[in-house]
Amino acid sequence: MNEVDNSTWAVMLILILIVLLPIGWIVVVSASEPYHVVLGEPLREAAENSGITVVSAVNSTLPFPGATGGKIYTFSDENGDLFTIQTQSFDSAGSRDAAIQIHNAQSLGKGKPVQDLVVVGNHLFFIKPGTSGIMNKILPELQKIKSR
Amino acid sequence: MSEEAAAPKKAVLTPPKVLGIFALAMINVAAVLSIRNFPSMAMFGWQCIGWYIIGTVLFLIPLSLAGAELATMLSHKGGGVYAWCKEAFGEKGGFVAIFCEWSNNLVWFPTVLAFIASTLAFALSPALGSNSIYLFSVMMIAFWGTTAIAYFGENVSSKFQNYGVILGSIIPSILIIGLGIWWAMSGAVIVLPPFSISQIVPTLNMSTLPFFATVILLFAGMEMAGFHALETRNPSKDYPKAMAISAVIIFACTVLATLAIAFVIPANELNLSAGVMQAIQYFFNAAHIPAAVAPMAVLITVGGVVSLAAWLIGPAKGLGVVAEEGNLPPVFNRTNKYGSPVAVLFIQALIGTFVSLLYIFLPSVNQAYWILSAMTVELLCIVYFLVFASLIKLRYSRPDAPRPFKIPGGMPGVWLIGGMGAFAVIFAFIVGLMPTGAFTAKETLFYVIGLLLGTFLLSVPPLIFLKLKKPSWIETGNKEGELK
Repeated sequence: MNEVDNSTWAVMLILILIVLLPIGWIVVVSASEPYHVVLGEPLREAAENSGITVVSAVNSTLPFPGATGGKIYTFSDENGDLFTIQTQSFDSAGSRDAAIQIHNAQSLGKGKPVQDLVVVGNHLFFIKPGTSGIMNKILPELQKIKSR
Repeated sequence: MSEEAAAPKKAVLTPPKVLGIFALAMINVAAVLSIRNFPSMAMFGWQCIGWYIIGTVLFLIPLSLAGAELATMLSHKGGGVYAWCKEAFGEKGGFVAIFCEWSNNLVWFPTVLAFIASTLAFALSPALGSNSIYLFSVMMIAFWGTTAIAYFGENVSSKFQNYGVILGSIIPSILIIGLGIWWAMSGAVIVLPPFSISQIVPTLNMSTLPFFATVILLFAGMEMAGFHALETRNPSKDYPKAMAISAVIIFACTVLATLAIAFVIPANELNLSAGVMQAIQYFFNAAHIPAAVAPMAVLITVGGVVSLAAWLIGPAKGLGVVAEEGNLPPVFNRTNKYGSPVAVLFIQALIGTFVSLLYIFLPSVNQAYWILSAMTVELLCIVYFLVFASLIKLRYSRPDAPRPFKIPGGMPGVWLIGGMGAFAVIFAFIVGLMPTGAFTAKETLFYVIGLLLGTFLLSVPPLIFLKLKKPSWIETGNKEGELK
């Protein structure tokens, strides 16, 4: 009886430690962005508010079911360096979340995906590596738009 | 009286020796070579060469050499990294190493399973890639099917990996490389700027530094063959050759296929937002063979399954050895007539299923999953640090132990190789804590704390089990097979 109790306890311990606590922690810490329609071009608005120059914005819709339109923005910082960020909007929470899953599945080796992903309402922003400098400036403005 | 003398005599299995050089090499290739890395790295253009060199010099070569020496030295012991680290640092060190390797898989499984399902959807109907029921169903078929293959032991799983890695990783790589050579030779425009040495130097700044951790571990998995030492016909001779062959295949296929994609697809059009198949489709369309996309998707799916199998089976075998030695409760210590650790496989499959369920059906988990992916990097850094430390420690603690393969250069050579590898993974661990740019300061703090806490939780159970360990955890008569 003691053996069964210890074994059962051990298995429960693993399940709790490995599964529930880490996943529970990230769910608590990183609140999910609920799906809602954010009108206009939130990335352009945030960039302009943060003083980043929008060099170009080319229409580009990704081949996702439910994708309602997107753009490839080219930004220029104060040093004249150019960065591109792709955005995509979706017509439902399901289609948006499916795109997030596909993004997460493109991990490099056993690590993270090369691109980062920012979720704002019905929009996804795909951020290529090396763009974090400009994103550091845009992000606070994006947070204001998210909380509107 | 010792614990072993007091405990009842246990049956000892003699696993069949079915693995040779080729099979061992294919295990490593299956675990490491991944088509989905190529478009991701091609985004960096010529700089991908620099990044690959960093990963090769600081990790692939040291791990290959360390694995060769440790595996041949301890070829009579099962458990792979568990045996190596236990020999150097005792049960705690070995158990922590193998448990970190096993638990990082549990977090990684849903991402590779989702990749398999979404890639297969590309061949069937791309719209399926957005269907949660389809995704979860295919994920479970792949996951439990691979677990079933592992159930039937080394003979079956090695055949599966041998054929699967050729079909799913090597053939697609050669096809992409061939098309890249054809593209270059045909006079078509190579979208990369003219080559110069300065072009390959990676941009290293605060924004790309977190990427260093991912690149270092790009070649994680070269130790997978070590878990199969007991099933190898002649490990002292076969293992070093297998390591060399697999390292060359992996490096050549990875660099050349990445460059082939970079030649054809402009960086600003190389977008992984819709998955690597989008890049592959662009590649084949540009080469005027769009009909090859669907078969390629099937082959890449096979490659994903084989990669899953390599990582699913190896660490589970290692944990099975831990259970055999009485360091886990008896519930974990069940093997079948094929010598497979069925209890570990089953528990692993249950946990992986549950985590996959959360990943697919809970948006909050889905959106935050990249944090768990960052955790896998941290856990693997712990594993590899212990491996490199074991390499060095054993030269001092067991200087006269037979080493059929020995890293050349005496102690300076071992310190160079082990030190380089250990430094790289320590550095990777630290920079892996750095969030990438899309974070506020408050989120950064929570991210780092969460990452450290999660890594701690996923690595600490061995210490608890060793505290709880009882002599009765070593059982008899729960295995089928020959008695030695």
